[in-house]
Amino acid sequence: MNEKKAAAYRLGVITFVVLMVLTIVEYVIGIRPSASIVLLFIVALVKAALIVQNFMHISRLWREESH
Amino acid sequence: MGAITAEHEHDAHSHDSHEPPWEVQLRSNRLGLWLFCFSEVFLFAALLVARFVLWGNTRPELSQELGLAATVVLLVSSFFINRGETAMEHGDRKAFLNNFMITAVLGTLFFIGVVFMEWNIFGLKGELFGIDLFGHLKPSDGVIAGIFFAMTGMHALHVLSGIVFILVVWNNGRKGHYSPERHWGVEACAIYWHYVDVVWVFYYPALYLMGTAV
Repeated sequence: MNEKKAAAYRLGVITFVVLMVLTIVEYVIGIRPSASIVLLFIVALVKAALIVQNFMHISRLWREESH
Repeated sequence: MGAITAEHEHDAHSHDSHEPPWEVQLRSNRLGLWLFCFSEVFLFAALLVARFVLWGNTRPELSQELGLAATVVLLVSSFFINRGETAMEHGDRKAFLNNFMITAVLGTLFFIGVVFMEWNIFGLKGELFGIDLFGHLKPSDGVIAGIFFAMTGMHALHVLSGIVFILVVWNNGRKGHYSPERHWGVEACAIYWHYVDVVWVFYYPALYLMGTAV
């Protein structure tokens, strides 16, 4: 039980750190005069996918509940 | 006593015959919430498309620091609500309450940042370390401002409803309405809040970073 809890917290921290790094990358790309819209959109897609998978737990939609 | 027992048995029987099992209800609830989120995609996507049609490869001159700060605040709030949900899943009610309250405070901070600083509804002026603290766009500034206020306004409305949702769930949690086995309200609130975050993940670059500042 404790291991599961620690793993869940760890996943949250890792996801958050990756999201922050991607936000800084996005900012650095965006403040340049020749910022690529496509690149910024790809970074946004990756960030959204991380949130949907790791924070919103979309996979639970297909999971059978046992309790 | 016998009557009460019989009533309970009747209740239990009627529950068995009329209500679907908890697992089935939970799956239906999840599907319903995700369908709601999906339906809202059309609303937010329409505004995003309007931005590209009307602004093209340009954007208004906005405070980059304010945009980045708002984004960071929202991401941090997502982190804390995730911790709160995880805490409730593992029976840590105190951590759940603390993390949900932190999320509500951060959400309020984001809301204040957008409405009072970026929209600058009181027409304030001020700077900190050379950074403008207040926006200069007005709703009457044409199509550029129209799209900006429509996108940030619709998002801020969802942030506000999310804060109310969090506070309701926090209050229910304080009264002990949730358990590690049954906490759909907590899960739904977290999903909704993350959804609001996902919308901002697309709106932030579209408003602040994409195109040439005019």
